[in-house]
This record gives sequence, C-alpha cells and structure tokens, in this order.
Amino acid sequence: MFVAPALLLFGVFVLYPMGSALSYAFFSWQGTSRGAFVGFENFVALFTQEPFTTQLPRAFGHNIAFFVGTMLIQNTLGLGIAVLLHRRARTRRMLQTLYAMPYLVSPIVIGYLWTLLLSPTFGPVNALLRQVGLKSWALPWLGDPTTALWVVVLVSAWQWVGFPVLLYGAALGGVPEELSEAALVDGASHWQTFRSIVFPLLVPAIGTVSILTFIFAMEAFALPYALGGSTGNPAGATDFISLLFYRTAFENGSTNAIGSSSAIATLLFVVIFGGAVVATKVLRRHQVRVGA
Amino acid sequence: MTTTLQAPAASAGPHPPTPPRASRRPAGRRGRRTRPVGGLVGSTALWIYAIGALIPLLLMVSNSFRSTSSLYSDPLGAPWPINFDSYRNAWTVGHFGEYFTNSLLVTIGAVTLSTVVSTMAAYALARCRSRIFTILESVFISGLMLPIHLAILPIFYLLDGFGLVDSRLGLMLVYAASGVPFSIFVLTVFFRQLPPELEEAAKIDGANSWVMFWRIMVPLVRPAVATVVVFRFVPIWNDFLFPLVLLRTREKYTVPVGLTTFFGEYSTDWSSLFAGLVIATLPLIVLFLLATKQIVAGLTAGMSK
Amino acid sequence: MTGTIRRSFTALTMASAMVALAACSPSSPSSSSGSQGDTKNVTLSVWSWRTEDVAAYTTIFAVYEKNHPGTKVDFKAFKNTEYNLILTTGLAGSGGPDVAQVRSYGQLQPSIASKSLLPLDGVVDLSSWDANVVKSAKGKVDGKLYAVPLAQQTLQMFYNKDVFAKYGLTPPTTWAEFMAINTKLKAAGVTPMAVGAKDSWTLPMLHQVLAAPRFGASAFETAVTTGKKTFTDPDWVASLDVVKQLKPFMPDSVVGVAYTDAQILFTSGKAAMFPGGSFELGFFQKQNPGLKLGVFQVPAPQGSPAMEPTTTGYADGAFGISAKSHAQAASKELVTWMATKEFGQLVADNVKQLSAVPGVSYSDPLLKEMKENYTKNPTPYLLLVDFRYGAPSGTEVLGTGVQELLMGKKTAAVVSADLQTGVSQWFKPGK
Repeated sequence: MFVAPALLLFGVFVLYPMGSALSYAFFSWQGTSRGAFVGFENFVALFTQEPFTTQLPRAFGHNIAFFVGTMLIQNTLGLGIAVLLHRRARTRRMLQTLYAMPYLVSPIVIGYLWTLLLSPTFGPVNALLRQVGLKSWALPWLGDPTTALWVVVLVSAWQWVGFPVLLYGAALGGVPEELSEAALVDGASHWQTFRSIVFPLLVPAIGTVSILTFIFAMEAFALPYALGGSTGNPAGATDFISLLFYRTAFENGSTNAIGSSSAIATLLFVVIFGGAVVATKVLRRHQVRVGA
Repeated sequence: MTTTLQAPAASAGPHPPTPPRASRRPAGRRGRRTRPVGGLVGSTALWIYAIGALIPLLLMVSNSFRSTSSLYSDPLGAPWPINFDSYRNAWTVGHFGEYFTNSLLVTIGAVTLSTVVSTMAAYALARCRSRIFTILESVFISGLMLPIHLAILPIFYLLDGFGLVDSRLGLMLVYAASGVPFSIFVLTVFFRQLPPELEEAAKIDGANSWVMFWRIMVPLVRPAVATVVVFRFVPIWNDFLFPLVLLRTREKYTVPVGLTTFFGEYSTDWSSLFAGLVIATLPLIVLFLLATKQIVAGLTAGMSK
Repeated sequence: MTGTIRRSFTALTMASAMVALAACSPSSPSSSSGSQGDTKNVTLSVWSWRTEDVAAYTTIFAVYEKNHPGTKVDFKAFKNTEYNLILTTGLAGSGGPDVAQVRSYGQLQPSIASKSLLPLDGVVDLSSWDANVVKSAKGKVDGKLYAVPLAQQTLQMFYNKDVFAKYGLTPPTTWAEFMAINTKLKAAGVTPMAVGAKDSWTLPMLHQVLAAPRFGASAFETAVTTGKKTFTDPDWVASLDVVKQLKPFMPDSVVGVAYTDAQILFTSGKAAMFPGGSFELGFFQKQNPGLKLGVFQVPAPQGSPAMEPTTTGYADGAFGISAKSHAQAASKELVTWMATKEFGQLVADNVKQLSAVPGVSYSDPLLKEMKENYTKNPTPYLLLVDFRYGAPSGTEVLGTGVQELLMGKKTAAVVSADLQTGVSQWFKPGK
C-alpha cells in the first residue's frame, strides 16, 4: 500500500505527540506534573481572565491581518514574478535563486538585520529618506504601532516570495502552450490571455498557496519574534497567537503554564482546521481540469 | 498539469517521444512566442527587485568581515580592512567541521525519507476516491495545522520512551514525519492534475502499479517534488530547536546548534554569527540551484510528453 | 494482496501505538536512583544559559576539579531564549543535567512544582545571606530552598566620563542637578540617556533606576505585598510620570529604538548615560575598552516619600540539583561548594558579576562601587522579585504599559490601573 509508510511515520512521530499536546489542555498542571482532569476550565480561562481577554483577540486579529497582507503582497507579487519569469528561460533560474535567498537565512538574523536597517537612530532606510527630502516618511517603523505590523508583513513577504514564485512557476509550466498561443494569434493581449485562459487553470495552485499561506499566517512565530520580541513590541502591536503561547508556556511564573498554553494551541488548531476545511471545499468545487 | 490534448502522444509508450509539433510551428509564431511578458520593462523590474531584495543579505555578508566591537560602534561601516577572524571563530567555536556532517546526514536522510513516503502516499490519495482515503488525506493535512514546536514536550517524551533521545536517527525520524503533511498536501494537488487516461494507457501496456508510479507519474510531477524538497530541506537545515532539545552529546550536534553558542544572554557575537550563517547558507544555495534545474527540466519534459 | 498488506500495516500501527503509549507518561516524574555514597570518578553535567561565560566557568570548575580529584565537571551552555524549554526536558527525561542553573523567583516555580529539583534545606547553610537573595531560590508555596543563588544584579545609571568631562559635568546629587545635566547635554546635541524602549523587558528596569524613590522603594514593597497599598497608589502613579517627564532626554522615537541600538549609542559615545544593570558591565568593557565608564545612583525625584537615592538589586540565577541525577552525593558536594566564598570570589573574578555569596571582594572598581551603592541603599526590583509568580507577570504588563506611556497612548494612571488589574488575577497579598 502506497499510503502505509507515510501513515506510520506520521502517525507515530507527529499525530500522536500532537494529540498528546492537545490533550494537555484538559488537565491542570504543576509544572511538568500532570494534575487533575479539569475539562474545559483552561479554555474558559482564555475567555474570562486577563491577560487572555485582551491579548487573545488582539493577537488573533493580527494573525488575520497578517494573512490578508501576505495574500495581497507576497502572493500577488509572487504570481506576477512567476508570470514574468515564465518565458525568460535564460535568466529564470538565476532570478529564482536570488528571490529565494532571503528564505534560506534563519529568521532570527533576518529580524536583526531589518531591525538595524529600520532603526530610527542608525538605520540607512530613514537616513536615505531624510536625504531624499522625504523627512516625514522617516518614521520609527518598528516602534510605531500603526506601522509595525505592516513591516512584519513586508519583511515576511520579502523572505517568502520565493515560495509562490516556485510553486506558481511549476503550475504555469503545466499550462499548455497551444492555448495561449492560439489566443495571441487571434489578437488577444498578454493580459487578456492571462486573465481568461491561464488564470483559471492556475486556480488549484492559487488555492494551494492560499491555504498554505493561511496556515502559515496563523502559525507565524519565528519572524514576529525576531522583529518584535516575545511581547509583540511595540505595546503588543505585533503580538501573534504563537507569541502569546510562548509567553504563557515559558515566561510567566504560572505553574499551570502547560495547561493554559495547550489550550491556546488547541484553539489555534481548531481555527486553522476549520479555515482549511472551508477553503478546501471551496477550492475543490472550482477546480478546472482542461479536458477532464 | 497537462491536458488530454497530449494523450495520444503518451499512449505511444512509457517514454514520451518528442512531439512533432515543432515542425508545425510557422516562423512568425516563433518570434512572437519567444517575446516574454512585459518585455524590457519587465526584465528591468525583475532585476531591480532582485538586487534590492539582496541588500539586507549583502549587509550580513559585509558585516561578517568586521569584528563585533566595530559593529557595535559603527553598525553600517564598510568592511575595511577585511577581517577573517569571525570566520575562523565560527569554524572553530561553532565546531563547523563536525557539525556539517551531522547536518548533512540528518537533513538529507529526513528529506529523502519524507519525500519518498509522501510521494507514494500522495499518488494513492490523489488516485483513489474512497471514503477512507479522503479521511486519511484530512488526517495528513491536519498535521500542518499545529506548529510542531508546540508539541515539543510530547515528542521529547515519545523519543525518550523509545530510547531515541540523543540519537540522530530519532531527530531524523521526527523531521521526516514533520515534513509529510506539507509534502502530501502539495503533491496531491499536482498528482490530481494528471489525467487518468495515462494510467489506463499504461495498464493496457501491461505496467503494474509500482512501475507505473515510478516511471510515469513521478517524472511528471518532478517540478513539484523538487519544490517540496527545497521547502523541506531549508527549514530542517536551519532548525536549532529540535537538536537542542533532542540531542545530548556535542559530537552529534548540527550546524545551527553551533551557531546558537554565539547568542549570549545580553549580548550577541554578531560577527561570528554572520560568518557562520554565510558558511551554513552556501549548501542551501547549491541545493536551490540544483532544484530549480530539476524544476525547469521537469517542466519541459512534461510539456513535451 | 492489498488485504494482507492492510492487515499487517494495521497490526504494525497498533503495535507501535501501544509501545508509544506505554512508554510515555508525562504525569508523574520517576524518583531518581542516585548513587548515594560514591563520589569517586564521577562526571557531573552542569547546564547553564550563559553562553558568554563558558570559558569563565571552565576555569572556575577546573579549580573544583583540582580540589576534588575523581570528579569532573562538564559545563554546557545553551541559548538563553530556549533554555527554559531545554531545561524542562532535561529535568523531566533522560540524559539531563546533574546540576543546573535555574531561574530566580517566579520562573523557578514550575520546576519546583514538577518536583524536578532536590530540596537543599539540610545541605547548604545560607543563614548569613541577604534574605531577599535567598528568597529567589525558594519555593513560593512550601518555602523550601531548592537552589543556591549565583549572582546579584544591580540597576543604576552608567555614564561616559569623557563626555561628562567635556561638558564640565559631574554625577548629580540632587534631582535638580540631574535635570540640569540632561538639559545641558540635550542642548549640546548629545543624547542624554540611551534607552531602547522597543524591547519592553528593559522598561520596568528603567522605571526602577529613574524613579524607585518616588514610589517609596522598599517601604512600598512591604506595603504592596501585604496589601496595604496597590499599584493605583498616587506615589506609584507619580513615579511613572517621572519616566514620562524624562522622555525628551531619551533618543527620538524611543519606542522604535532597540536595546541593541541603545547599547551602540552608549558604547559609541553618542549618548552620555545608560540606565542599566551590572550585567552590562562586562559587555561594555569588551566592546569598547577605551570607554571610561562610571556609575551613579539617580537622585530621588521631588515629592519622594524619602529623599535617599536607591540602587535596585535582585538575584539572578541559581544552581540546583536535578531530582533525576545519578550522582546526588557528588552534586550536593558541588552545590555546597557554590555557597562558599571561594566560589563567589571565582565568579566575581572570572564571570565579572556580583556574586550572591556575602563577603566577596571585587577587583573591578565599578563592580565594587555598584556593590557598595547597593549595600548602602538597597531596594528590590519589585516586579521581578514579588510579581512574576503568575500570569500575567508584573514585568510583562508594566513593560507594555511604559511603552504605551512613552507613546502617549495612555496616562500614568491608566497604566498603573492596568498593572493592578493584571497582577490581581493571581496575586494574593500577605506574605
């Protein structure tokens, strides 16, 4: 059976620990000693007690905003680049590699580099803006709650743009030449060809990328942590659910840290699962297979 | 992702012949076809973004040639005179020599295992439409929905129970397993795009399941496989959390763990860290170039099927 | 064929599942089977988060190994931000440390609650130590001692002697003098104080350095921990206002300035003062050996209940014994040695931090000065020492609060109220 090995590997090393981690949420804990079964108490606490009542919805909102921003910026840019690269066979590999390079570096260092670049005291970005005369634009990018989140979106897009470029590139490769050529011969412009012929055939790939982006946006940790610290500086403007998990699990002195943080993890899982199920259903319905 | 327009050509045998359509192409069409979208403006834009996107990384490389103290007094100064101390430091203090082999072993092992089992599973999941398989697929994909680092404590207990703590094999198994959901998710989409006629044609020719899978289907999804390999290799290569938690003897550590020694509680040795990262990233670049070559090769092969 | 495969695969999955279930039980930690009397030819594994100090501790433990033949100490340091997680797995499973550096005050409690550490009440005698320091290594619930405190940190104002000399300034003794220094520096184009408000963890410390006398320092600690006062107290609110008043003397867009940036500002000479901890000293000296450093206590702001300046202090790190250690006797011996003046002196000389052990002498003049200041005018780092025992922690709430204060989004009164709401989720007055 083709599925058996994957199922065994995944089942033992991922599914079972995951299930355990989620089940921790239903107990109270004394450090790493499991206490009594408490049902939904940890979950209720997430909605009735501080700090969760302020921080959880806010973090969740940021995750959603991060998802929307990433879709708009990273994936649109990625698609555009993939289309541009599609026929440029000679330079394609070089450019693809260059675009993907930010992805190859650890997020911790990415965070530091961008914090330095955007620093109000030392950063060249602001220095450049001042030189060019755009002094009013030289904001404290990572220090202003209104801009900080968007900086995270932009840096994340910069880091991950290689992913949609590669995936869309592979998908575009599967679109048969004849269809677009026929349209071009008939006098259609590149844009019209793209919109009516290529784009519908890309829907499965777009769907895949979108679902993966949603999951990624809900789980985002490394980059926000590197840019904004574990408290989502400034003043919680870059707080994400995974950061809230991290603080609850490791930084507070609470002895029930495992219980509360597992409740957050379970909640996150339910949200992502629900979102992905809905998205997949929508996607399946719209999948177009030429000639199928 | 191909169409039935190509089906007649495929039925000629397991090895797709070059299509005769090249000769059908009129001269004028060829000129039109090779003009890429966007023309010169597009090319310029692509290169400008490429260069701009590299600036932070160039900063990192440039800073790796300066000492950390000079970074603290002048963060954006020029790397002159060039200082190789941080590279030496990264190699010795970061134990790069030892750790490189470990990283290679663990990462290549994990990615190979993960990709092989996932490709097999994705093929089956894309092909069979039974209820069980749909459920299985959801089960696999649900693995994407909990970030693995939230389950690190149970994973530790699991490996401890198997006696696999402080074992590169254990680390490799965990990494491989964590790559399965993503790989299956991407590969099923690509497998689904292949027309069922291919298999019917191959069956008529007497090919059994395994041969069909290996010789026909896999080459057709080569771009997707290469993509999946890259996107599993990079995070595993760069991960330091699992080795820190699951390994105990220094000789077994991987490269990112060596880099964490440069992070102090209140101060970080940025210079050595950058140098270490430059060294650590080079294999990834090589991998990426190889993978994109595969992707391109796969695309052209797919089209000429 | 499919049927057999399916059946065998199911069997295999069930088997592995059963093995896995049987093997992992995170509920109760197994008791350790330490070898009781054998201290010969033992290798003790010591874990820490101080990657900066590996060389120093190797030297320190070499001294121990010389005096205790047959015992070897293997010191390992892990990345600080992941250390809590790594230690949890080390104390809970196999292959962990014998002796581990553990956090102080609130962050120590989960390890105690897991019963991962051996109580040390009969093993070491800390009766001559500062009570506030010993408190850092005790269980909040059972009051037992679980670790030997390692270091003390003090918070004060660093200053650049050359810059001060250039503008004819001397360390202030009154608040008016302090304000005059700030004004003069700012007018001259120098950033008076280097503050990195982007990293919120630095802000409660900043508050202590600039305004501890204003809220009443140690007297306030007693009042708030026994419930006589809360954080809505007018003196506390006023102390936050002091921080706000000093904002013009911090870098522009201070909430966007990272902690690293602030360090750079100071070490490069662009800022004259740096409110920070004794832990910064080694770093500043290393990055810019030419920098002439001095420290002073910030004078008490006007309106303070008592006009003495204060130096804030707290214990930072302690060494405890893992309950799963196989070498308990040897570990106890090591930990006992860590409570001696010999060890404290080695720490002071090699790690360059203030040792928690009393009676240690400091060769570095600045360390000596910081210790003397603290001995003269001690006050605890309130939110760490007393208010990090639950979620949300006092430091977390105030850190964010001071950011909001500096951005002008909230007033000092609102920030104080937030703090009170936050800690009252779990804090019960009455020590």
